[in-house]
This record gives sequence, C-alpha cells and structure tokens, in this order.
Amino acid sequence: MEILMSIVIGALFASSVYLMLSKSLLRIIIGTGLLSHGAHLLIITMGGLKRGAAPLLGEKAASYVDPLPQALILTAIVISFGVTALFLVLAYRAYQELGTDNMDEMRGNEAND
Amino acid sequence: MSLLHLAIFSPFLMAIFVPFLYKGLKSIHTGWFVLALPILLFTYFIGFLPITRNNGTVEKSFDWIPSLGIHFTAYVDGLGLLFALLITGIGALVVLYSIFYLSKEKESLHNFYVYLLLFMGAMLGVVLSDNLITLYMFWELTSISSFLLIAYWYDRERSRYGALKSMLLTVFGGLSMLGGILLLSIMGDTFSIRELISQAGELNQHPLFLFALILILLGAFTKSAQFPFYIWLPDAMEAPTPVSAYLHSATMVKAGIYLVARLSPIFAFSSYWFWIVGAIGIFTMFWGSFNAVKQTDLKGILAFSTVSQLGLIMSLLGVGAAALHFDTLNDNIYIAAVIAAVFHLINHATFKGSLFMVVGIVDHETGTRDIRKLGGLLSFMPVTFTIAVIGAFSMAGLPPFNGFLSKEMFFTGMIQLVNLDLFNLETWGMLFPILAWIGSIFTFIYSMMFVFKTFSGKYQPEKLDKKPHEAPVGMLISPIILAFLVVLFGLFPNLLSYSLIQPAAAAIVPSLVGPGELLDVHISHWHGFNPELWMTIGVIAVGTLMYLTLSKWIKLYALFPGKVTLNALYDTSLYAAERGSYTLTKAYMNGFIRTYLVYIFAFFIGILGFTMWTRQALTIDTSNLAPIGVYEIVLVVIITAGIFTILFAKSRLTSIIALGAVGYTVSLFFVIFRAPDLALTQLVIETVSVALFLLCFYHLPKLNRHEERMGFKLGNLIISLGVGAVISLMAISAHSNKMFESIASFYVENTYKEAAGKNMVNVILVDFRGFDTLFEISVLAIAGLGIFGLIKLRLAKKGEEADEN
Amino acid sequence: MINLLVLPLLIPLVTAALLIFLPKSIRVQRAVSVVSAIGTLAASIVLLLTVKDNGIQTVNVGSWDAPFGITLVSDTLSALLVTTSSLITLSVILYSFRSIGEARERFYYYPIVQFLLVGVNGAFTTGDIFNLFVFFEVMLMASYVLIVIGGTKIQLRESIKYILVNVISSALFVIAVAMLYSVVGSLNMADISQRIAQIGSLPILTVIAVLFLIVFGLKGAIFPLYFWLPGSYYAPPVPVLALFGSLLTKVGVYSILRSYSLFFYHDQAFTHELLGILAIITIIVGCIGAIAYWDVKKIIIYNIIIAVGVLTFGISVATEESYMGTVFYTIHDMIVKAALFLLIGVMIKITGTNDLRKMGGLMKKYPLLGWTFLVAAFALAGIPPLSGFVGKLLIVRGGLAEGAYVGSLIVLLSSLVVLYSVIKIFMNGFWKAPKDYPGEENQPVLSLWAPGALLVLASILYGVGAEVMYPIISQATDALVHPAIYIDAVLKE
Repeated sequence: MEILMSIVIGALFASSVYLMLSKSLLRIIIGTGLLSHGAHLLIITMGGLKRGAAPLLGEKAASYVDPLPQALILTAIVISFGVTALFLVLAYRAYQELGTDNMDEMRGNEAND
Repeated sequence: MSLLHLAIFSPFLMAIFVPFLYKGLKSIHTGWFVLALPILLFTYFIGFLPITRNNGTVEKSFDWIPSLGIHFTAYVDGLGLLFALLITGIGALVVLYSIFYLSKEKESLHNFYVYLLLFMGAMLGVVLSDNLITLYMFWELTSISSFLLIAYWYDRERSRYGALKSMLLTVFGGLSMLGGILLLSIMGDTFSIRELISQAGELNQHPLFLFALILILLGAFTKSAQFPFYIWLPDAMEAPTPVSAYLHSATMVKAGIYLVARLSPIFAFSSYWFWIVGAIGIFTMFWGSFNAVKQTDLKGILAFSTVSQLGLIMSLLGVGAAALHFDTLNDNIYIAAVIAAVFHLINHATFKGSLFMVVGIVDHETGTRDIRKLGGLLSFMPVTFTIAVIGAFSMAGLPPFNGFLSKEMFFTGMIQLVNLDLFNLETWGMLFPILAWIGSIFTFIYSMMFVFKTFSGKYQPEKLDKKPHEAPVGMLISPIILAFLVVLFGLFPNLLSYSLIQPAAAAIVPSLVGPGELLDVHISHWHGFNPELWMTIGVIAVGTLMYLTLSKWIKLYALFPGKVTLNALYDTSLYAAERGSYTLTKAYMNGFIRTYLVYIFAFFIGILGFTMWTRQALTIDTSNLAPIGVYEIVLVVIITAGIFTILFAKSRLTSIIALGAVGYTVSLFFVIFRAPDLALTQLVIETVSVALFLLCFYHLPKLNRHEERMGFKLGNLIISLGVGAVISLMAISAHSNKMFESIASFYVENTYKEAAGKNMVNVILVDFRGFDTLFEISVLAIAGLGIFGLIKLRLAKKGEEADEN
Repeated sequence: MINLLVLPLLIPLVTAALLIFLPKSIRVQRAVSVVSAIGTLAASIVLLLTVKDNGIQTVNVGSWDAPFGITLVSDTLSALLVTTSSLITLSVILYSFRSIGEARERFYYYPIVQFLLVGVNGAFTTGDIFNLFVFFEVMLMASYVLIVIGGTKIQLRESIKYILVNVISSALFVIAVAMLYSVVGSLNMADISQRIAQIGSLPILTVIAVLFLIVFGLKGAIFPLYFWLPGSYYAPPVPVLALFGSLLTKVGVYSILRSYSLFFYHDQAFTHELLGILAIITIIVGCIGAIAYWDVKKIIIYNIIIAVGVLTFGISVATEESYMGTVFYTIHDMIVKAALFLLIGVMIKITGTNDLRKMGGLMKKYPLLGWTFLVAAFALAGIPPLSGFVGKLLIVRGGLAEGAYVGSLIVLLSSLVVLYSVIKIFMNGFWKAPKDYPGEENQPVLSLWAPGALLVLASILYGVGAEVMYPIISQATDALVHPAIYIDAVLKE
C-alpha cells in the first residue's frame, strides 16, 4: 500500500509541477493545491499505514496508528489553507490591476536595469 | 598602549580635530596646525637612531584580538625606522608645501588634511607593525586614503577614474597578500613577522611555501607599481601635486618595497623569490623609463620615472637575495645590492620629492604641465630651475649627486650577477646588466627632457593661461631642503652609512649579521675605471646623442598600437566585465517565473537523482507494507481521474471541481488510513477552498486552453515526471529505511494518563505540540490581515514610481 | 515566571495581537512598536548574557519532556541571531516612521513586522524540526503580506512569483520532515542527531540531507535556487527590503548551518562537498550580478547572494575555525546589509531615483550620509578593522587550512567585487558634480539616516570589539563543532 501511495503522491506532485509550469495563474494555484494534497498524503504514508486502530483511546485497540503524523498534517492543512486563500485574493487583485492572469505577461523587471 | 603606539595613532587623533580647526579658525590655513605633527613625530623618531645604530630594536605590544593572535605590536628596527623617518620627514615638507599650494579660500582643506593624516598614520602602521594582520589593516588603509586623495577633486571624471583604478589594483594586491599572510600563519602558526622569520628554514620546506610567496608578491607588486600592475600610478597623478610627491613617489608606493625587504628573511632563500623579484624589478625599471620618454605631461614623466625607479630598487632586493646563499660576510658581494637598494630608496625620496614639487610650482605658476606648451621658463623661475637641475641630474645618475652613487652601486649589483653560479644565471644573467643599462639611458633622456623642455627652449606665452613668475618663498622651502639633501648625500654619503643604511640593510638580511656585528657599508665616489664607470659614461654618451635626436625617433612610439596596452586591457576588461555580467544576468534572469521554476526543478531532479544514484539510496523493502484493499484501488482510480481532468479541462469550472474531487478523495484516504479528524478537517477546508476558488475566479477571464508548442509541453512533462519520480522513489526508500521505533508510543501511553484526553491527535495538537497550533493560528491571522490589506489598500492608482520606496 | 527564552517570541507576538486592535491611531502604533522592539532587544540581550554565563537554555513547552513535546533551545548561536534580528527590526521600525507612508501604516504594517520577528526569532530558537517549519510559515506569511501590502503593480506581480516559489519550498519542507520522520522516528533535533549518530551514514539520509539543503537553499538563496530573489526583493519598499535582505536569507543559512552541523554530518564527503561547490558558484553568480547593474537596490540585492555564498562556504568547510568565521560573518552581514539598505533608501528618497546614472554629488550637501555609507561599504568588503574582516579572515583561513584553496581564494577575491560594486554607488552617488533634486528639501534626511547610522555604529563596535565578542562566538561555535553539547542540554542526560 505504501508503495502504491508513493506512486499516487508522485503523480500528484508531477501533475502539480506540470500545472505550475503553465502560463495561467489559475492553473498555477490549482497546482499548489495538488502540491499540498501530495505533501499531506506523504506525511501520513511515512507514518506507516493501517498499523492499528484510529488514535482514539475509546477504540480500546491493542495498537494504534501513529498519531503524530496526523497532528502534523492538521497543522499543515490549516497553514496551506491560509496560503491558498491569500494567493487566491492576490491573483484576483493582480488580475484587477494588471489585467491578465497570464504569467508571461507578468514578466519581472529583472531584465531592465 | 605605549608612547610608540600613540605616535602611530597620533595622525588619526589629529584627523579628528582637523574639521573643527578648519571650521573654527577659517582665517588660518589648516595646514599650519597639521604641520606640527609630522615635525614632532620626525624628532621623536630621530630619537630611536642611537638604538637602531647598533642593530638594536624596540618593541611595544598591546592586545587587539589576542584570541586570534592579533596584536598591535609596534616594532622599530633599522628598516622600520628608515621608513618612519621618510614618512614623517617628507610628510612635514609636503604639508609645508601644501600650505602654499592649496588655497584656503577655494579648497576643502579639512578633507585634504584628514585624508593626508589618515595616510600618514596608516603608513607608519605598515612599517612599524610586527603583526601581519595589523600590517594588512594599515596596508588597506593606505589604499583607501590614496583613493580618497586621488579623487580629492571628485567632480572631475579623470580623478574618479584614477581613484577607482588605484583602489581596484591595490586592493586586489592587498587581498592576495592577505591570502599569503593566512597561508604563512597556517604554516607557522603565528602572525608575528619575527616569529615567522625564526622558522624560515621549516617554512621553506612547506608545500604551501611557493603559493604564499606568489600571493605576498602580488601584494607588493601592485602597491609598488611593478609591471604589469603599474598602470594605476600614472592615473593617480590626478591627485593634487603634494599628494603625488608624498604618496605616489616617496612613501606609499614604497610600501611594496618595504614588504619585500621585510619578508626577505623568510622568502629570499628561495630561487623563485630571486627570479621573480629580480626579473620583474629589472623589467619594470626598463619599461618605466622607456615609457617615460613618450610622456608629454611633466607629472606623467615623473610617474613613469617612479615606476622605473621602484623597479630598480625591487631588482636590487631580488639580486640581494643571492647574498643569503653565502655564509660569511667577507667577500659577500651581493650584500652590496641590498645596501644599494636602501641607499637608493633614500635618494629617490629626496630627488623625486623635489622634482614633484617643481612640477607643482610650474603648474601653479603657468597653469599647465604640458611640455609642448612649456619652455624658456629659466628666466622667470631661476630658483625652481636650479632645484630641477639638481633633482633631474641626480635622477639621471650624474655626479656629484646622490643618484650617481646609488646608480653606480646598482650597476655593480647587476654586473656581479653574471658571475653567480646559482639559479642558472649563466644563461639569462646577462639580461640583468643589459636591461639596467638600457633603462638607464632612457632615464637619462627623460631627466634631460624634464629640465630642458621646461626651462630652456622657446618661451611660448600664447599657450599659457597666466604670466609665469617665480613661486612664493613658502612654496620653495620644501624643494630647496630636498635639493640640499640631494647634494649633501651626494657629497657626503657616509653621513647615512651607519646611521640609516646599515641598520636597514641588516634588518633585510639578519641571518648574515651576527650579534654585535655590523655590515660593512662604506660608500665611495671613486672606484677606478671599472665596468660600472664605463657603463655610466656610456649612458651619458648614448643618452645625450639620443636626446639630441629625440624628434627623429620619438615617432617610433606611435608604432605601438594604443589598443594593446595594459591600460586598454584594464579599461576593456572592466567594461567587458560590466557588459558581460549584464548580458549574462539578463539572459538567465529573464523575469519569467516559469524559467526560474524550470531551473529549480531541474536542479531538484538532477541533484537528488544523482545523490540517490551515487549513494545507492534506492531501497525497496516489501516486508512492512500494509495490504491494498478494494477501497484504496477505487480511490486511487478516482484521484487519478481527478488529476487528468484538471490537466485536460477546458473550462475553469471543471478544473476547480476536479480539484475539489481530488481533495475529497484525499479526505476519504484519511478515513481509510484511520485518521478521522483529518478526514473531517480536510472535508471542511476543501469545501471552503473550492468556494473561495469559485468566488475569486468568477471575476477572472475565461480560462483559455493555452496553445503551447508541443516541444514546450514535452519539456514541462519531462520535468514534471522527473519531480514525481524522484519524490516517489525517495518516499519508498524512506519508508523502507525505518531505523527506529517512532516516538509515537509515548503519546499512546500518555494521552490519557498525563493529558486527560482520549483523542490522541487532538491532545497532541493542543497539548504536546500546542506551540505549533498557536503559531498556526498566527499564520491564519496574518493571512487574514494580508487579505484585508490587499483588498482595501490600493496604492497602485496613484503615482506608482513615487511610492516604490 | 515566564522563561526568559520565550520572551523574544512572546513580546512581538503579544505586541502584534495588541496592534491589530489599535489600528486607528498611527502614533500609538508607532509608539507601541518601538517600545516593544526595544523590549524584545533588551530581553534578547539578557538572554544572550544568560546563555553565555549559564550555558544553553531550554524550555519544554507545556513541560512535556523532550523529545515528545516541543523544545525551545537557545544556545549562544540562536541567542546571538535573535539579538541581532531584534536590533535590526528596531532600526527598520524607526526608519519606517518617516518612509513607509501612512497608508501602509494603517493597514497593519507594524503588527506584521512584529509577526515577521516572531517567525524569525522562533526559527532561530526552536529545537524541533516541524516547529521550525511552522515558524518558517509564520515568517513567510508575514513576508508575503509585507511584500504585497500597498498593492502596487510591481508588488502584485512579484509577490505572485515569491509566494509560488515559497509554496513549493514549504511543500518540500513538509515532505523532507516526513521522510526524516519515517527514517528516524523523531522530530526533536537533538533526538534526531542522537539517533542518526547511532546508525552513522545511511544512503537515504544523505538524500534527505540534500533535500533539506534544497529547502533551506531556496530560503537562503544559494545557487541555483536563488533566481526568485532579485525580482521579488526589488518590489517592496526599502524598509521591508532591509528586513528581508538581512533576516530572511539568514534564516535559511542558519537552518543549513544547524542541520548540517547537528545531524547531517555523517556523509560530509558528499553533502558538504556539494554545499561547498554550490557556495562557490553562488559567490560567482552573485558577483556577476553585483557588477552588472546601475540600480542601487539591485547592486545590494546581489550582494546578499554573495554573502550567502561566503557563509555557506564556511559551513561546507566544517571546521571549528570556519564555523567561527561563519558565525562572525553572519552577524556582521545581517547588520551591515540592513544598514546599507537603509542608507541607499535615504539616497533614493533624496534623489527620487534608483538609477546611479541619474544620481551624483550628494557629498556636498549630505556629507554625513556619505561617510556613513562609505564606512558601511568598507565593512561589507571586509576591510579591517571593520566588522566583515574577522569573519572573512576565519572563513578563508579555515578553508585554506583544509586545502580548499580555490574556494578560499574566490571568497577572498569576492571582496574585491563587493568593494567595486559598493564603491560604484559611492562614486556615482556621492561624488561627481552636485546637482539639485526636486523635492529633496522635504525629505527628513537626518531622521532617515539615523537608524542606518545606528547599525553602522553597531557594525564598527562589532568589528573593533571582536575580542569582546570572541568568547561568545567561540561558545556558539563549540555547540556546532560538538553536537553533544547541544544534545546534552536538550535531553538532559
């Protein structure tokens, strides 16, 4: 299962990279969404899958899955939500001011001096 | 902190007061206040003569960074004292001269004297430091003060150009020297020059020795304007003439000579030292004089002359290194070269100093330094003329002036080389006296040019801005004193023999001088009709002939194409460096985020792939895998479908919904993986995210499918697949290398017992790792503020540029 | 009693929260910010002295024993960095009064600066690798907002790129932590070090170490991960740029230093060699950028990259001497970089342009500014006895002693390029014939100059007083050379 998950995670990363390399800001932000999904799945996979009951003491199981990665993911989910929200609003404002969501039209000023 | 330290630091202290003196006492020329200091210092240093006379030394130390072996160790021996006297003595004369040269009404005198004092202190520090790091510090400070002085008239383009050039070259040398110093300190485990000298034998055997030698010499050669680094010196002539007289002929440029002399006991036994110092020196001597002849600016002539004379002294020090290969003082003829070097050092300071002051006077009184405009000034400025004759004839090596004596000794040193059976000299040794002789001919020619083109010939009033007349007395005092010394040392050279020359020379070759011994330094005018005398006669004969036919062959210089000079090399490489850097930076920093991401991801794939490959990190352990169930397969299929939908979607809405689908699938995964809290949270967050996405992109244009070229897409595809593959492989390997029991069991055991909770994840979040959660909330708060500010604060409308900063 | 080492985090955090609720009065905002920044600085100085006298300070948050809870660890290195960051933040806040503009001040500029300080100080102080991630996020989120606040076109454009790159690096950080957790089963850095020491070199750990290098390298802007930096740093106003330039990259460098000395030191032949090569290339590309431009901001921005290269070179050599040099140089560079940014900020304010070709002659009217700049410039180039010298000396000597001749010489000669690039600013900005600039008389030059001058003064004292700093720096280096010191303090064995 972990190997399968690793491949799924790889696929999530690959697709997110592909999206981030595109011109459209929307696709890029969608790409970042996939990126965090991949990262979160990776954390839980690294903790070892299905090694026991859910980490609730009420379950009275002999063993529980590692609760720590789950806690980390929770933190990470919230943080990436914050970033995504900011990013979305930024994209919206950028479109308003710059009149485009095409990254090629948002070339930086590095080239000028 | 001793009186000696105070003496070294006194110029810096004085510098602090200069601006106040300038502002407070406008009616008195600031130079008068400053003048007191070098005079005081000169008399103070004279007081050391009785000690150094018998090769005694004085050492005072106080700690700066003792933990790193960095001390302010002031150390006075014959060599250091000689320089200290030059610095303060010439310094006093230059300050006196500058009082009449720089107008107190027009010039920012406070700046001038602050820089000058900075230089004086720095230079004293260089020659009186035993610790190489302190020496280096003062060394760089001389470069900096020289930089400031050259650009004293900083609104002139040429001044800035010269300042930058001198700074770049001398700081380059300084940094190389620092590298050499650090290597020495690694070899000898000390920064103290004397301690290093005492280990000279072992250092010579060290594999890093040659490396250190070259780096140190780079420092010395750039500072002392040796070929090919001399190019900064002619441009440094943009400085006010008193500065040129002081820094760029008498003192600062001799710091390189000082360094070579000072470190000779460490390095001189090496044949590399002998060859590099000797050969570079003699070639510079020739090259400088050869180029001086084609100059039309009086200061230009003197600048190249200085280059040449520095080369002369340098070559003598190189040749003098041969002396170390003989154990006894008797018959050690090469010691003569060292003595000649010291003697010429003094002589050069006197005659070159006076000549620079002459140029200053001519410039001051006629408004030009161009020999094509000058001529016939003899009748207007007889005193100046007399000084010029004394200085220039001494420079040309004519009797009875001091330059004649040291020039003869120089010839002796070069001729002796031919007889030396060391270092393969039998093959190339002849070049030394030949170059010396040719160089001396050119020296003779430009010396004559200096005097006669200026003072004799036709007076051309139409080319001059003002009517020339003799300089004010004040301006003449300093050059007269120097000219007097030229004559005095020429007639009675032995005034210097045991007071200054012997102690300095002994410090250069300490291994040859036993305790209580003195070197034999007796300078005489007449040695009979020896080769040296014939060489001098030859110089005068050929030189006179060539000077008289100057107009016939001067055009030969024009044959050298201007584009292949070292100057052009400096200019073009600086220009090319800037343009090249600009073009290069512009090429790869193209402003497209995609390009940057490609660099980053390519590096990611490359370096991690390379690491996995070379370290053979890829391991697959199938023994501890969880089983795959039907649900999981279904979810994998769904998530894959979601991904592909996003990738190929035509409309915005489809992409967003597909992203939501992927997110929900992830939360189902969490359910299967026994993470109910995660599943819930993910569900909520995903819903809110999708809503946000929809809200924002409701306002955006239709997502058009970008018609990218296929090649481009292929490139992106390869990179994406690479990133995915690297991550998958790393994840598998990381999972297959579980080396330790995780700390998780602690939470299982203690969640209820210690934290009184049943949901471990919650307890971890709010208790065990509550700190994470606190700051996670902070992140959300900042994001909230950011979003608020983004929507509300819009500075873009009003003046964009004005608000950038 | 609240533990001392939490204060540099807590004071700005509480201040930030407080400031959010008093947004209306700019005066109050300013006053509270300054008082709090002084408080943070004072607390961190007390902390530094405590660490110096009593050794490494730790606190297990929520009193859960390490490695199970989160442990904050203040060794001399972190205390030094925290102190420096607090000093810089104070200066930047002072500078902001007369420069950032009321609009931005009203929109939570000051609380976000405080949040940034929370993130930076937290990153320097935490002893937990995942908590480090969280503090990175605090710092990044604050930086996102700072870079974008104001919403000018260039800010919007550049912040998209900045956020995107950092989102990627955050995701990589998370997976790196996850993989490390999978292998060693712990998050506490001291515990990680101990566990790795038991197994020694393991291939996958080398790969993970390189992944961490990429993560921190993206923050610290080493080659070839720095491309986002020049454009993004160019966008925000000068005080924000000063904060970014002196603090953010140093957090990346610090993280490399910490991880590569504390736990990823078992395969130095690979990891440190790689770091060394990247460091040298970083210096070279930084140098190329620094001489390419006539824009004052860009020149100093590329100097950030050079400094990062020098520092990472020091880390890669990994001897006591080079570490000591790295620590010396880090503090120096933070102070002087911030000072230079603030000083060119004043130049830009006066002249109304970034372009050196359009500047000139400032020396006549603003000699104080000119000399302050020149001293800062020489300090940056490592001219003794100013502050850059000792650090560079030790890094180069350490490199030479280890046989890294090429790298050491490049570090040495990079000083020349640094000097050239900043002297170019001096020569073209302050020299040349004086001219008049529209609106210059309205600029509060003295109050803008003062914060930069304060930092330059700090830099001079730091350089000349190297002997005073030596025991502190040497103590900081000890914990880097001997991870056991750090581990023992955290795990109390």
